[in-house]
Amino acid sequence: MSALLRYCVLGVGFAGLLCALAVLYLRASASDEVPRVEFSAKNIGPRPIEDLTSQHVPRDYALAWQTMEQALDENRPDLLDAYFTGFAKEDLAKRVNSQIQAGMHVRYQDRGHQLEGIFYAPAGDAMELRDRAQLDIQVYDGGKVIYDEPIDAQYIVLMTPGADRWLVRKLQAVGGEKP
Amino acid sequence: MSQTIPFLILLSAVSSARAADLHAPAQATAGNSIAIASGGSGKATFYLIGPASVIKRQVLAGTDISVEGDDLQNSGRYVAILCGSEGCGSSPFFVHPATPNRLTLQVHPSRVPVASVNGISTVAFVFDNFHNLVLKSPPVKFSILPKDGKEVSADRPVENAVAWVRLTSARKQGTTKIGAAIGHAQETRVVEQVAAEACNLRIHANRDKNGFLVETDPVRDCSGNPVPDGTVVSFTMSDSAGKTTVDVPIKRGVAKIAMPIKGRARISAASGVVTGNELEVGG
Repeated sequence: MSALLRYCVLGVGFAGLLCALAVLYLRASASDEVPRVEFSAKNIGPRPIEDLTSQHVPRDYALAWQTMEQALDENRPDLLDAYFTGFAKEDLAKRVNSQIQAGMHVRYQDRGHQLEGIFYAPAGDAMELRDRAQLDIQVYDGGKVIYDEPIDAQYIVLMTPGADRWLVRKLQAVGGEKP
Repeated sequence: MSQTIPFLILLSAVSSARAADLHAPAQATAGNSIAIASGGSGKATFYLIGPASVIKRQVLAGTDISVEGDDLQNSGRYVAILCGSEGCGSSPFFVHPATPNRLTLQVHPSRVPVASVNGISTVAFVFDNFHNLVLKSPPVKFSILPKDGKEVSADRPVENAVAWVRLTSARKQGTTKIGAAIGHAQETRVVEQVAAEACNLRIHANRDKNGFLVETDPVRDCSGNPVPDGTVVSFTMSDSAGKTTVDVPIKRGVAKIAMPIKGRARISAASGVVTGNELEVGG
């Protein structure tokens, strides 16, 4: 009887260990995974988009989201340097710093983006896009979840070309009267 | 009984909020303060998660929670959260941009050849005072102020916070100011209009002691503007020995070169895509 009890305890302990490992793995893979971005440039203008640009913009936008999600989850403003510039970088850095002060962090589960190019400057030096994103947001105070909600968000995005990539210059949520 | 009353008072003082419901206003404008109604009673923790800030503070549930305009400067989605002893309640809301009052003006290129059709790209992004893009706004007024001419202006509609126009450069070289205005905001950029490609390139040759001195007439573009010094003119000489090309930069409006020519030779000149006349010398 005592042996059976010992095996039960061992089994429960092993199951617990597996769950903990799964949680750790999922957490790591969430930030390691580049979000899925579907890009459409059929209504863009006045400048027609170049083939290479139409490949690089969604790639760099996805990487920007990946680094932003990681920065907000791990409270690391340094991660914003790679794909953000101007007001977007300034605002997000402020947000991360205030999260650090409050002892909070925010985790995004990114379910994908539908990115649409709406304006490409005649000189090719700026692009405006609209993003329809599906996200699950969890707000943590310390280790405790205080808010958890799936949202369909819309963003207006300004991107400008950098030395070897497109950078997010402005990322502004737009949308309904009451989200 | 005498011990019960202080105990109840103490319990009331330290009790946290029971219910934690919040009612954020349907509309909020960037930079304006709001009051968020809360339900329940007792001490609670209030959080406000915004695009550029996170606020955490202790409040009394059941009262209106005021949020200052300084904490609502960024347009976008905010989530107000109130946590009491029985859990947390939340109320997401949007902060809309304020009235347009700032512009970012991009004018390219900064140097443009004269008479370049749609050669100047002018794009204005419309913002409010807090750097939020204003998606719907009155038109932007674009203006062109030549160095010695009258100002010309035109309105362009704003779509998704962008207004733009393509301009043709003037026929006369010199600086011009390009401006955009909305609300109290006005931005100006200076564009240098320079001579275009050479036009009607002509050369002439005079004998000198070693051969011929070949020289262009003053090199001008098709609008009569002198082509800037440093622009290269290529002189090509063909004689019985073959073909020789020499690149010569324009100095003081002309390009010239001494060519040691023995026998008969043909000399031509070109600058960019423009070719000039051909001379036959010697003999």
